[in-house]
Amino acid sequence: MNHINIGISKHIYLYPSTLFASKDKKEIHTVLGSCISICLFDPVNNIGGINHYMLPIWNGEGLASPKYGNIALEKLLEKMGNLGAQTNNLKAKIFGGAEILSNPGNRKFSVGFKNTILATEYLEKLRIPIIARSTGGNLGRKIIYDTSTNEIIQRFIKPNKINDEQLK
Amino acid sequence: MDKRKLSSTKDRAAHRIKIIRGHLNKIEKMIVDDEYCVDIVHQSRAVQSALKKLDLLLIEDHLNHCVVHQIKNNEEEIKYLRQKNELDQQQIKSLNTLIAELSKRLSDSESLKSHFISNISNELVNPFTSVLALTENILNVDKENWKKVISMISLMHTEVFNLDFQLKNIFAAAKFEAGETIPEISLVNIDQCIIDTIKYFKYEARRKKVSIKCLSQHENIPVYFKTDKEKFELLISNLISNAIKFSYPQSEVLIKINISEKELITEVVDFGEGISQKNQKVVFDRFKRSEDGISSINRGHGLGLSVNKAIIDILNGKISFTTELEKGTTFKIMIPEPSEKTKGEELFGEDIFFKEEKF
Repeated sequence: MNHINIGISKHIYLYPSTLFASKDKKEIHTVLGSCISICLFDPVNNIGGINHYMLPIWNGEGLASPKYGNIALEKLLEKMGNLGAQTNNLKAKIFGGAEILSNPGNRKFSVGFKNTILATEYLEKLRIPIIARSTGGNLGRKIIYDTSTNEIIQRFIKPNKINDEQLK
Repeated sequence: MDKRKLSSTKDRAAHRIKIIRGHLNKIEKMIVDDEYCVDIVHQSRAVQSALKKLDLLLIEDHLNHCVVHQIKNNEEEIKYLRQKNELDQQQIKSLNTLIAELSKRLSDSESLKSHFISNISNELVNPFTSVLALTENILNVDKENWKKVISMISLMHTEVFNLDFQLKNIFAAAKFEAGETIPEISLVNIDQCIIDTIKYFKYEARRKKVSIKCLSQHENIPVYFKTDKEKFELLISNLISNAIKFSYPQSEVLIKINISEKELITEVVDFGEGISQKNQKVVFDRFKRSEDGISSINRGHGLGLSVNKAIIDILNGKISFTTELEKGTTFKIMIPEPSEKTKGEELFGEDIFFKEEKF
């Protein structure tokens, strides 16, 4: 893997716009606001993967990076496919998509909501069942994902200081 | 009569009930006293008509107050819904413009795809061909004409340099698109970093007769800043490369550095052609160049600034530019010092509201 572990801690911190997949036991930590993490798991081949996207769809602006949901999911499928995972074995869990920045009057168009819709619709299109989810609300989430067991521990967290610019 | 009208409905109803009670008492008394049945029926009729009047009174009141109130309420709700509808319509409108924009981008990308082969040959094959030709020429140069070799080698250097620089951006972009780029923070000597980068562009600048100057606010003192060295260098390289590309000959490219406690501000200033209004919007797009067409004199995939945008994103910074046609362009980047905590933790703190949940 190209991920370099910073610090002494054993876990890997998943940065926004990146993704991770592995056959081995790895503990992935990530923090989600309006972002979404889709965790995919192939129970037959024991391959787990997770992404972390910030916006729903790449509109051609900048690089086609996994900052955008549609690309993040495709890249994760590709990466897990390279490790030997089969799409029809996959089970999904989705987390995040809180409405932290949106004005409460217009829920339909908040980033978190749009991110959630994208995850749900894309997974449905790919016929990947969502076996667990914790989305929406207005609290941030910290999740710890075990790539070998597909187990996820979630904590809700209070926003510290909401910075509109940073928390896209 | 007047007094009655003025008094409230409650009082009037109470008055009516009093009358009805009086009539009822009368009926009871008449029955006890064994009075004539028809008289009793008369009396009972009076009670019924009084009750009817009470009903009318109550209905009138209901119409005057409750119904009016409800209508008012409904009006407010309609108003609210109308506002919401307008808001939704605005959103739909903005979505429509977005869709129009996207379809334009799509057609752009289609035409780009069709130009891909010619682009590739321009960017990759041509440099190789000319390097190959130049080496052959060098091998054939007579001993007396050795001075020619120097100019040939300088041409070769330009070709190889461009190729090297292109590849750096291509690899960086590929890594970003694969989602494999993470910040690798260390303490960086910013001055040294800038000097090295300027050195890298020495021959390129000489070829275009442009001089690059670094203006540090902290003269002669080496300044250190915690950031990702490799990415910062690429960031500056892309800005310098563009600045040289669009500079007028015999002009300057200025690099201004300003480090405060919490952030590093770098400005790259050129005195060149500037960016037209039309192109300002697409500056950070992949494969966009300010000049359309394949045979433009200036080279590059236009990948540089979109790589820069991605780097800035990951370093949590900001990039902006000011430009004036035929006067020049200034790109400004601001990078904050990364904290010990990761980005997410910094934003949310560690407060745990509920018990851990397992999924």
